[in-house]
Amino acid sequence: MLAENPSEAAIRDWCTEYLARALDLPAQTIDTQTTFARMGLDSANSVFLIVELEDRLGLELPADLLFEYPTICKLARHLAERTRR
Amino acid sequence: MSKTTTEDTVQAERVDQSRFSSFVDVLRYHAAWHPSDQAYIFLPERGGERLSLTFAELCASAETLAGRLAEQAQVGDRAILLFSPGLDFIVGFLACLLAGVIAVPMMIPRRAGSRDASVAILADCSPRLVLTRRDLLIAARPDLMQRFQTNGLEWVFVDSCATGASKLRPSLPLPGREDVAFLQYTSGSTSVPKGVVVKHGNLIENSEMIRIAFGNTRRSTHVSWVPLYHDMGLILNALQSLYVGALCVIMAPVGFMQRPLGWLRAIHEYRAEVAGGPNFAFDLCVRRYQPEELQGIDLSCWKVAFNGAEPVRANTIDRFASTFAPYGFDPRSLQPAYGMAEATLLISTSRRNVGPSMRKVSREVLQRNQIVAPAQEHDSQILVGCGRQLPGEQLTIVDPETRTPLGPGLVGEIWVAGPHIAEGYWRNPEATNTVFKARTAAGGDQYWLRTGDLGFLAEDGELYITGRIKDLIIIRGINHYPQDIEETVQNCNLALRRHCGAAFSVPDQDDEEQLVIVQEIERTFRRTVAMDEIVASIREAIAKEHELTARAVVLIRTGSLPKTTSGKLQRQLTRQMFLAGSLLPT
Repeated sequence: MLAENPSEAAIRDWCTEYLARALDLPAQTIDTQTTFARMGLDSANSVFLIVELEDRLGLELPADLLFEYPTICKLARHLAERTRR
Repeated sequence: MSKTTTEDTVQAERVDQSRFSSFVDVLRYHAAWHPSDQAYIFLPERGGERLSLTFAELCASAETLAGRLAEQAQVGDRAILLFSPGLDFIVGFLACLLAGVIAVPMMIPRRAGSRDASVAILADCSPRLVLTRRDLLIAARPDLMQRFQTNGLEWVFVDSCATGASKLRPSLPLPGREDVAFLQYTSGSTSVPKGVVVKHGNLIENSEMIRIAFGNTRRSTHVSWVPLYHDMGLILNALQSLYVGALCVIMAPVGFMQRPLGWLRAIHEYRAEVAGGPNFAFDLCVRRYQPEELQGIDLSCWKVAFNGAEPVRANTIDRFASTFAPYGFDPRSLQPAYGMAEATLLISTSRRNVGPSMRKVSREVLQRNQIVAPAQEHDSQILVGCGRQLPGEQLTIVDPETRTPLGPGLVGEIWVAGPHIAEGYWRNPEATNTVFKARTAAGGDQYWLRTGDLGFLAEDGELYITGRIKDLIIIRGINHYPQDIEETVQNCNLALRRHCGAAFSVPDQDDEEQLVIVQEIERTFRRTVAMDEIVASIREAIAKEHELTARAVVLIRTGSLPKTTSGKLQRQLTRQMFLAGSLLPT
């Protein structure tokens, strides 16, 4: 779960855990600097990740968000900034 | 084969189909008789502007555009339809029919992917026109211009076309039943796509079969999120509603993936009777079910919840029915359906208000393509019936080796004949002969369509699908050819042995198909390469080229992939070894 106004690190950890579950990989093998494409995330799974983040952060996010922020690190930084606004 | 039953002759508000030779007649009929009724509504994601067209507006827009097409192309030229979700696709499709131009629906090529089917489709059908929107091409996807660059190809922007003003030139001839309406490219691998040639007569005949089986009338409002370039989205949703003169509410596919319950809310809001999709769509609704999102929703209007394009699962049906029964959803409206582009679309389905048939069989004996009752509970598997043959259609089960027709309860290849079976593949006589011109061993003049699917007919005429002859992978209703994926894998790294890998799918804990890759490593590379890096490149390439996530990538020792004595890859055996954990990892 994510608390209200989560920190960048909390978002990063949540994404890592979520992707480990979605891709059926051990969490320690997921590198937050690796691109989502390299992890093998297809567009359906990208949409599911975005929807989960929207629900948890109370934000509206564009469907091509992961094109602009292609790693867990970049995505978490961007989302942390947006939730602070 | 059994005769059409009385239940098939739906009396309610019969459309006199002998009046229609094509959808041009259908369009003009409804535009003349109820011009101000709504034909289509597009619900954009997240409350953007709602678009709608009445039958009169639809007809006028299509005729105006047809006038322009007739100036730029000859009768029989091909026109690619390249549209993001909305109503332009439908106007463009009907304009092509009016102008005698052969429509070719196409998925918008992905930004990242380099090896999709679009280039091969362009080469195969040599189109004269591409119909699209200026704002899609110029603003959103300028890369497409480059991709579609071929000799003599012209762009037609439907958003810079004034509506209503000009009249259709009287010189446009009415299409006949034997004229080609459109090409459906859903068969064949990415490198060798096959365009199914659908004639106006095929389309009218299958639309009539669907109308009778579903019991549709002018009041049968449809709500659909299935893409219009997909044969199910086009024929079972957008064209069926037009055929019976009903409203079709269209939603964007990505909107459905994000908010599947929005589909159910739209069904409630528009009091829709007909809404369906591939099996995964029903699972997605259950998985993302939240009671607070469905307060006050009444689904008792929903009469036909068709489920097709991928195997229909008993679990899915049970879970969906029990989750949404409190909202008035009637389990009898779940209607499994089976079809393919080669038959225009629909081949079999259960009938309205009947509900799905299920049958418990022995899982182990089914692996050998035989049907017996399970001896023990843990050996039992529930098969969901795909309904019965359609009126005017012949359906038979044939031993694929000997071509002998088989009796009830025996598994063989499903063969189909009837006025909805397409002419063949576009400019591909060899594949056309193999697939469309099959004859049984008994001889006779009857040509059959070989579906490539295995199944059996029960005593009561119910069709059960049990597998495929080809190793086709179906994920989220989309067909993938394992050969395409295996080639992508083997192009990732020199350490990966050519022709020594297998792609297949296995169901996960939610019964959804997931992609698995098994690939041999060259012996000489075994100690020198980083296996993690190779696996990551394979995953990346598969996501990029095929829009799929590989759930498992297993690298195995040189020479350990199961093959026949003649060196032919055994995908099914590899799959069984993967499930049993008996592969030899590096």
